[in-house]
Amino acid sequence: MARARKIPGLDDSASFGQAAATAVQVRSEEVFWFADGVLDTSNPERVHDMRVATRRLRAALEIFADCFPKSEHRALLREVKLLADALGERRDPDVQIDALEKLREELGQGERTGVNGLVAEIRARQTDGNEHVQEALERITEARLEERLAALAEKAGAS
Amino acid sequence: MKARRVKGLEPSGSLVDNARRIVATRVDELYSFDPNGNPKELHDMRIAAKRLRYVLELTAPALGDAAAKGASEAKQIQTLLGELHDCDEMLALIAAHTERLRGADAEAALALAPRGATDLPASTARSLPNRLHYRGLESLSAYFRARRELLHRRFIRKWERLERAGFREGLLEVL
Repeated sequence: MARARKIPGLDDSASFGQAAATAVQVRSEEVFWFADGVLDTSNPERVHDMRVATRRLRAALEIFADCFPKSEHRALLREVKLLADALGERRDPDVQIDALEKLREELGQGERTGVNGLVAEIRARQTDGNEHVQEALERITEARLEERLAALAEKAGAS
Repeated sequence: MKARRVKGLEPSGSLVDNARRIVATRVDELYSFDPNGNPKELHDMRIAAKRLRYVLELTAPALGDAAAKGASEAKQIQTLLGELHDCDEMLALIAAHTERLRGADAEAALALAPRGATDLPASTARSLPNRLHYRGLESLSAYFRARRELLHRRFIRKWERLERAGFREGLLEVL
């Protein structure tokens, strides 16, 4: 998992508003950096990294909520949450399949049929999850989420 | 779970003052849950630990070492409760999947009943399409139930250790 980038200027001399601007800007850049290659199913870590980055952005938006204009903040937080949900729909099956496949190795032949059936069902959800991530990526591009988050961050810095 | 509202935040005020208010609220939130509670309560407790962790991580450069240490402890609580939640999710998945198979098998058995039959022949049981699936699913279910119990015991030990070490007081010191 990728480590969070250090946010410059979050020291004891910073104002809450300045910290909000920098934190949201840095965390937002992280999300869009990981978007590249996220649909590549051969590399599940990419989805995981983008999901973690989205969680960190969401946390920054929630912590600094009072620094932003209410309606813009609410709309953007909702969009980030929808993105996080779509990434979760893709990531959760990855983790579940991995756990079940490890257990299957430990079980006898007579028990593997049941595990295989469950894995097949989860795989179908995994495929749906990838489609939802694709839709979410298209939606955030259309909605210019990156630009709007940058604009929101600037507003906090100006307060 | 909706986060508790933090009162008195001031964008033009210092990061330190505002962060202290947020940390105080998030600590209270974390401690409002019963560590021996039901799965929903423990799931909410995990989210509270996550919120505390993120605010401490973000503001540790301004709040100091106690915040960084608190963030690390909150992360451990979150991780442990997350693994426990994964077991609950897996148990629900197995139960739902098993129920679907049972339903499909019952339908198949009914379809196999001879026309005009007044009872179901015992031999029908041999033809249930999913009959070979149940054994593995029962093993999985028992495994995740046991793993959940073990993780919960580990969590309680961790929580009690934190209590003894003054985790809450240490965080309030940040304030």
